[in-house]
Amino acid sequence: MVEVGEEVIEFKWGNVKSVGGKKKDVRFYESFSYDGVEYSLFDSVFLYKKGEPEHYIGKIVKIWETADKSKRVKVLWYFRPSEIVNFLKGSEALENELFLASGEGEGLANVNPLEAIAGKCNVVCTSKDSRNPYPSDEEVQMAEFVFYRFFDVGKRTILDKIDDKIAGIEVKNLFNNLDSRKHVDLVKPGLEKKGVSRNFTACNEAVALLSQNNSQPLIEKPDGKCFDTLVRENADSKSLLGKKPTSRTGLKEASKPNDALHTISYKKNVPQAKGEENGGCKASLVKQKSFSKLSHGSRAGFEMREITKMDDGAGNVSFEKNIFMSRVDLGKDDHEDVCVHAGQINKGLGEQKASKKERHGDFGKASSAKMNNNGKNRKLITYDDDDDDAKTLAPSSSKDKYKLQREIDPCDVKELPSKKLKIDKTTKLTNDKLCKDYSKISSIVEQKRDFRPMEVIQRPDDLVACNSVAIMLKRSDTNLRQKDRSKWFKEIPWEERMKTAYEQGKLLLLQNLDPSLSSAEVQNIIWTGFQEHCTAKVIQKTDYSSPHSGQAFVIFKKMEAAAKVVRELDEGCFLMPNGLPLVGSFGVPCFPEKKPVFYGHHVVDQLRMMQMQRDMKDAVSTSHCSQPNNIEYDMAIEWCLLQERANKSWRMLYQQQGEQLKKLKAKLKSKI
Amino acid sequence: MESSAEEYSAFEQKVSRTVYFHNLSPQVTESVIRTALDQFASVKNVKFIPNYIGPSNLPQCALVELDSAKKVKEIVSMVGQYSFMMSGMPRPVRAQPAVMEMFDDRPIKPNRKIKLRWLNPDEPDFEVAKQLKNLTRKHTAEIEFIRKLQLDEEEKLAKQQEDTLKVHYKKFKMIDGIMADKTAHRLARKYNLHVADE
Repeated sequence: MVEVGEEVIEFKWGNVKSVGGKKKDVRFYESFSYDGVEYSLFDSVFLYKKGEPEHYIGKIVKIWETADKSKRVKVLWYFRPSEIVNFLKGSEALENELFLASGEGEGLANVNPLEAIAGKCNVVCTSKDSRNPYPSDEEVQMAEFVFYRFFDVGKRTILDKIDDKIAGIEVKNLFNNLDSRKHVDLVKPGLEKKGVSRNFTACNEAVALLSQNNSQPLIEKPDGKCFDTLVRENADSKSLLGKKPTSRTGLKEASKPNDALHTISYKKNVPQAKGEENGGCKASLVKQKSFSKLSHGSRAGFEMREITKMDDGAGNVSFEKNIFMSRVDLGKDDHEDVCVHAGQINKGLGEQKASKKERHGDFGKASSAKMNNNGKNRKLITYDDDDDDAKTLAPSSSKDKYKLQREIDPCDVKELPSKKLKIDKTTKLTNDKLCKDYSKISSIVEQKRDFRPMEVIQRPDDLVACNSVAIMLKRSDTNLRQKDRSKWFKEIPWEERMKTAYEQGKLLLLQNLDPSLSSAEVQNIIWTGFQEHCTAKVIQKTDYSSPHSGQAFVIFKKMEAAAKVVRELDEGCFLMPNGLPLVGSFGVPCFPEKKPVFYGHHVVDQLRMMQMQRDMKDAVSTSHCSQPNNIEYDMAIEWCLLQERANKSWRMLYQQQGEQLKKLKAKLKSKI
Repeated sequence: MESSAEEYSAFEQKVSRTVYFHNLSPQVTESVIRTALDQFASVKNVKFIPNYIGPSNLPQCALVELDSAKKVKEIVSMVGQYSFMMSGMPRPVRAQPAVMEMFDDRPIKPNRKIKLRWLNPDEPDFEVAKQLKNLTRKHTAEIEFIRKLQLDEEEKLAKQQEDTLKVHYKKFKMIDGIMADKTAHRLARKYNLHVADE
């Protein structure tokens, strides 16, 4: 294990493997330590994927530092079954099964900045290949994911066996031996604690520096004080809590009930706080605990959900939820919520440390997943702390969130060398998420301030020019995958997806779209307007569809995103190119009934019906043109008449509606 | 994901080859359509348009891709001229040439730029936009209403026709009956009328 010491260092190279490049200025490494986690060649890692609740998973196959000191990893991808569902050809995949990319073609492997790594992933190879040291049952149970099959990206087929090399790498390296050993290391508690405490000290420092950086003395003072006390008075959190609210009240519009809740929650806090032992980290833990308790008081149910989600290892899911919540009561409450969240994560981590073994028993796979996700969790913590700190400062320094965002960036970058890795370069991980979430927070703010017309941009997953290099590289290489995926999804019946989305409140019905827009364009519109990912499906025009307003069903990733979009569309006016404001509502899809009613087909009596059924069996089809010499023809004419009447009324209705719209639209002064 | 011009023109071709059928009974399946139409044209592809928003008892619609645009015209005029029945009587199916908006997998129109903007609550347009939103909602309700009305009308006509049929059936059955049990012959003899022997 690479020793990192107590100072704020979050990155260290391991052994140099070789030196290459034209000028011998590229150094290849065997391992590195990043954010307290040691990564070696052939480790499986999560890679952060913007806007997706699920991370990409890949295997590190090359690590190097380029001449300009940027750190690179080459990653061989794993595919989730959902990504290649089209090519499974009916074969069942395990729930936690992955497929290692093989063959030649796009989506096999590509180079990413090292900072794109979000954490370690425990993937065990259960292939019965003789080259693969078969893992123990325990290892398999502990594993977050298993793989034993391969996906040929060129031929797009699933393979059970594999040649000697994938992407020029000896296959034996891709099997278990190295992978499993690493995980043992990772589970060692010492490392985690260190990582945590480091992060906390880092955060504290960051805040101190941040406040120094900030020219407003008002902030510096109470904040510094706050943190001093935090660090000094570990055991006595009472005074801490006493002081904090007061210092805060100086800072911002912290409301009185807030303080009251502080004190209430404090009592619960102390024992737990004593339970923790972690130097500098303790203080901040205490602080955050108090907030998490606060949330216990205010919305316990909500928090419970959060924690469960954290346990799944899907940290950012709950994070966004929080942001969302904070947006609901944007303003006074928001710092509170974010703090709460940070607290929750810490709490989760604390608990995890305390009862690690029990959890193993209890949760089995889930907890092991969590353990191995530690790297990821920790990242979230750092992030949340940043956010927390930033927030604490935000309302005080200025009420402008915009400014806040700008403030964080430089200070983190300048003052915190270790974080720089993550944050600065190309708005990676931390900052990327931060930006994203901030953009969410401030999206209304920004957009409401910036009312200039904007052009619809492609969603970054389709677009190469994305602000995150990590994503960009991944995306550009996997554009193919992305494209394919949209096709794959057609295989999963849309009805089913819509139904689940409807049940989970993630389904929206959009109206007033230009009827000629395609589904992909609708997705891009949503991305442009809300920075939300979604899957859209335009409703196909039928003979009675309105020519004025195109409709589309949109499935969002999260309920909150859907709710946000509905609210924003309701409150604001998002003008479409056809001059109509977009209207969104929770969609209530109509599902086909088992025995649909259809008017207009008659059978005269039972006997004939039976005969007809026999006919249908015998003569597949019963279609014919009607002859004018029987009653059926007359009746058909009656239907035609009715149809024409209906057509006329529809025409008139739409004409009338069109005129009404036109009249109103004429009042719009600004045109896009 | 920008679709190329070729892709788009291929799609346009496909649209021109496609007939839109509606007023189909729920019992109509792809094979029914294929067998019904293969006397006129070769069917390349049949796709039903799912009904996600309307009331569930709307008739089915389908997009039927044929081998050429000429056949589309023929079929449309044939179906319009004669009452074409599919899987039941007497309500005829209807056909129209398909349009792009009927396809859910339509590609993005090349070189299309979409401009959007959020309106500032302070500008007067904001109010207008709000009104427009309300109008849209009103229109949606109107559409729903008309749709319901239409279905009601259809139900009414169906019922009326069913009654007519029943009466006709009863009449025929009665005639059948009196022919069968020789009542007709007896009466003919009594009134000295000539009844044609079968």
